[in-house]
Amino acid sequence: MERPVKGAGRITRLALLTAIALTIFLAEAQLDPLTTAVPGVKLGLANIVTVYAVFVLGSGDALLVLSARIFLGAVFSGQMMTLIYSAAGGFLSWCVLCLLRKALTKKQIWLASPAAAIFHNTGQLLAAAAVLRSWAVMAYLPYLVLAALLAGLFTGIAAQALIRRLDRIRK
Amino acid sequence: MKAKTILLLLLAAAALSAVYVLVRNGSTPSPVARITRDGVLVEEINLNQVTKPYSFTLEDESGTNTVQVERGRIRVSGANCPDQICVGQGWISNAGLPIVCLPHRLMIEITGGGGELDGAAG
Repeated sequence: MERPVKGAGRITRLALLTAIALTIFLAEAQLDPLTTAVPGVKLGLANIVTVYAVFVLGSGDALLVLSARIFLGAVFSGQMMTLIYSAAGGFLSWCVLCLLRKALTKKQIWLASPAAAIFHNTGQLLAAAAVLRSWAVMAYLPYLVLAALLAGLFTGIAAQALIRRLDRIRK
Repeated sequence: MKAKTILLLLLAAAALSAVYVLVRNGSTPSPVARITRDGVLVEEINLNQVTKPYSFTLEDESGTNTVQVERGRIRVSGANCPDQICVGQGWISNAGLPIVCLPHRLMIEITGGGGELDGAAG
């Protein structure tokens, strides 16, 4: 989508995006949950950065930012146990974003986010099923799919707006 | 064209999920609570046969969960897990959503005890 940035410029940009994503993640974690009836439902605002990174920087660099954010997010929030769930969800949603990167035009990027969010929640649920050694938790899937669609739509539109604005600045 | 396919799949996922949620959330006629840890059954309670509310504490090396039982419903009233998600879920009385305590690998699900097919009745 744009010419690749190399060397120190690339490192700086990856570090900046990781810092932004981590800040958003930790700030959102301080908020009250949207609902207590279905655990784990949240907007996932840090994924605005993930979507931006996949579509603008490319799959590889996006994975670096995402992994760093997930690991540091678990460290800073003090809940290392959550690492396996967010890693499973993050990796699965990253795979989906990489597939959609080629299928969508620049104006359709917002559509990638709800799809990725569904797979993020599915990945988390699979990790939870493995921990609990029971498929019964899959009862959460429909609830989490609905939540993912709404949250993904929100972050998708935000990511689309972000990409449009940053494009305009660069010109 | 590809975008249209994706949009269609997303809408289909939304519709299926909405239907499932609506069907599953009907009342469960003869609710039986199954408490499992690591997928192994710890306790099984027929919730319609509970006459007096009571509570008990489940403990293992990862921590404790206090379970409260009343006629027709069950909840985790207290736990020493870091996230308190199981406590926050409150009472459950139907087959909709199981209560889960991931840090303690504990789950409380309600099964219909045979009457699950007419979940929308009552």
